[in-house]
Amino acid sequence: MTPQVVMDGLITGAMIGLGAIGVTLTYSILRFANFAHGELLSWGAYAALAAAGALGSVSGGLLTPIGPFSFGWALPIAALIAVAFTGGLALLVDALLFGRLRDKRSSIIILVMASFGAALTLRSLLEFIFTSKPAYYTKALQIALPLGGGLRATPDQLLSLGIAAILVLAVHLMLTRTATGRAMRAVSENPQLAGVVGIDVRRVVRTVWLMGAGLAAIAGIFAGLLVQIRPQMGLDLLLPLFAAAILGGIGSVPGAMLAGLIVGLSEALAVQFVGAEWRGAVAFAILVLVLLLRPQGLFARPQ
Amino acid sequence: MSVELIGYAAFFLTMALSFAIICLGLNLQWGQTGLFNVGVAGFVAIGAYVSALMTTPDDPNRFGGFDLPIPIGWLGGSLAAGIVSFLIGALTIRLRADYLAIATFGVAVTVQLAALNLEHVTGGPFGIGFIPRPFAELAGNSLLFSLANLGVLAITVTLLYLALERLVRSPWGRVLRAIREDETAARALGKNATRFRLQAFAIGGGVMGLAGAVQAHFIGFIAPDNYQPMLTFQVWAMLIVGGSGNNRGAILGAVLVWGIWAASAGAISALLPPEQQARAAALQIVMIGVALCAILLLRPRGILGEERMVSRHLGKLARRAAAEPAAPQTDSQGASRAENA
Amino acid sequence: MTDTALSTRDLVAGYEPDLPIVRGVDFRAGQGELVVLLGPNGAGKSTFVKAIAGLVPVHSGTMALSAADITAVPAHEKIRHGLAFVPQTENIFATLSIHDNLRAAADILPKDRRARRIADLYAMFPDLAARPSLRAGQLSGGQRQMLAVARALIVEPSVLILDEPSAGLSPKIVAEVFARLQAINRAGVTIVLVEQNVKAALAIADRAVILVEGQVRHEGPAAGLADDPIVAELYLGARRREAAP
Repeated sequence: MTPQVVMDGLITGAMIGLGAIGVTLTYSILRFANFAHGELLSWGAYAALAAAGALGSVSGGLLTPIGPFSFGWALPIAALIAVAFTGGLALLVDALLFGRLRDKRSSIIILVMASFGAALTLRSLLEFIFTSKPAYYTKALQIALPLGGGLRATPDQLLSLGIAAILVLAVHLMLTRTATGRAMRAVSENPQLAGVVGIDVRRVVRTVWLMGAGLAAIAGIFAGLLVQIRPQMGLDLLLPLFAAAILGGIGSVPGAMLAGLIVGLSEALAVQFVGAEWRGAVAFAILVLVLLLRPQGLFARPQ
Repeated sequence: MSVELIGYAAFFLTMALSFAIICLGLNLQWGQTGLFNVGVAGFVAIGAYVSALMTTPDDPNRFGGFDLPIPIGWLGGSLAAGIVSFLIGALTIRLRADYLAIATFGVAVTVQLAALNLEHVTGGPFGIGFIPRPFAELAGNSLLFSLANLGVLAITVTLLYLALERLVRSPWGRVLRAIREDETAARALGKNATRFRLQAFAIGGGVMGLAGAVQAHFIGFIAPDNYQPMLTFQVWAMLIVGGSGNNRGAILGAVLVWGIWAASAGAISALLPPEQQARAAALQIVMIGVALCAILLLRPRGILGEERMVSRHLGKLARRAAAEPAAPQTDSQGASRAENA
Repeated sequence: MTDTALSTRDLVAGYEPDLPIVRGVDFRAGQGELVVLLGPNGAGKSTFVKAIAGLVPVHSGTMALSAADITAVPAHEKIRHGLAFVPQTENIFATLSIHDNLRAAADILPKDRRARRIADLYAMFPDLAARPSLRAGQLSGGQRQMLAVARALIVEPSVLILDEPSAGLSPKIVAEVFARLQAINRAGVTIVLVEQNVKAALAIADRAVILVEGQVRHEGPAAGLADDPIVAELYLGARRREAAP
């Protein structure tokens, strides 16, 4: 087992973890498995692609790579636009679909079915608009830099890791130290009591969608940057996202990131020993193990 | 009415009825038992591949090819799918509804991966071809061939429908319904809810496997690409449109949704140039996805569905959901709470 | 007659639109009163107060806080009008710390008042001040009840409604809780108490209202009501009807 495997696993894991944070937040507050969450990653990636392309055509200078990275200023700016856009998309889908089903007190099954339908719709819409040909943010190639100990990573990859770490910390602090975070934790435990205490549950729901979608968009952009952009990218990550969110313990942000890293590392190890084709089955194996052995996850919400 | 039209109609109905078989299986799992299977495509695939491997002639590159008669293949396919369903169910049946959904989704993904990668067993991405078709001797006369196959399928669906209706009205079926309505009471009467649910899950899975086998022999070739989440989505759409909890609804939904699918596909291929076909197909899925969400919003019980499936325990569920903590519970109470709505 | 703190007019409410549990209730709590709501199981006492809190749908009728109509006010805004509610079960956030429980409640206050109110409540409930970072789920039943009450008091409500605060508590703790409630009431907070523990509740109440099958069957001063045969009649009478086939 080469140390590089560990590096690759960490990087994939960080992306999965970032997406899983969004899943764990929305899952703990909305209380249903949102099969459309993966599409928020895809839409985030494509929104950034479109925005970056538009910015690049306005000013070619924005496409010039910044420092050691493979992308120009167009991408960070596009990323901000994409985060806002994806957040808006999530709110729209909730307003049109999930919110209405919640108001009708629909069962979990109906909600999950609807999310499945929404996922297919969103994915196919991307395919319609962009076709299924893989796309890329940049054609610039990156050289992996030696980090010592036999590890190598490209500047893009290191940036992704760094931003993922910062985001995890930021979200964790937000949840534990701010009024919004307290409100989210309260709603996550008991929405009725939260209302009694004066918390506007609908507002918390909107906030959670924005956060979950924003994190998903960033994860999608990094996945698109480090690998490639395809309409299927969200679907391919869905099982790892769920596995990580459940392994980490629904509602735990540090848990989601840690579990994401575990899933990423396991996938990298599996590729080493069993072959890359079986990558997708690793998340499933982890999921089944968690559900059988410790369904509340690593950092279970204590009762 | 031209011969071609009849031939096409026969083909259309045959495909629709093969989907109806899947729907009947799903109805047993969800409509009667409340188990949320999002991995339908996987169980269909198992039935298809097992049947294909049993009935195709020997192929040096690939395991299998036992050249057995078609009905044996069908039997083998549905048995295999039933056994796998039983095993999966044994692992996951106590999970709450959405965890079961995720787990079964994972099953389908894994089955598809296996089909794709175990080349020496499944033929890899190219799949298995030359699967023997019923009434192959009639292949020369396409009309007679189509009608013969339609006949086979119609008989199969009818027999299956009658058998399932019988099952539903049998004492076994009544216990199942009791468990769905009020598990605590059923348990108090000494009924092992998990065992009944598992049996229903396995039988439903077996039915799905049968459908896979039937489809495989009708089309003549199968590939991993045939068993994507799209298939699961189609079947769910059929069951929801036709009316869940209802065997007639399952058949009606299959024919209706397949009709809409085929009609929109036909419209697209007729109206659009070939380069745009792939994109247009994507748009077709978008429209159907939107339609499904609309149905879930406006009439979740479908056309023939039972009123009770959706509304009866809503109040109870809403109150319990408001009171219950966010951590997942793997007791079967969790599963029944969700399924009781 | 004192000013009205909380009142309802012909209130009809229930979880299902075709199944009212509260069937036309006129209720009145005067400013500074401690009113106890009694009645046999299933009478609708809990449903009634939950309807006031906005947790159960109101089918018809009105409710007012002082002069302000609050029938259509959404649940999370009732507290801003000065109405605090302590549910019977799950009335604290078990996964949050004691401190976070109080802060979650204080978050609706203007920033400058938050810290002071929390400090005030810690002074009032020294048990909670002892270990503020303790997860609320680890508290005993009696301490949880104290936390729930403390949480409700943070916003300095004009009306405090409690749903069976004595449920599941030992008599000694019940006495402590009730003593607290009396003290809070004397400080000027109007209290409406739903209770099954008839004797203990009547001992601290000014007035009592007896609800049977969703309707008011008796109301009057609490003094002497415990020995009044009408209580036995309404409780036992209802029970006799329940027992009959």
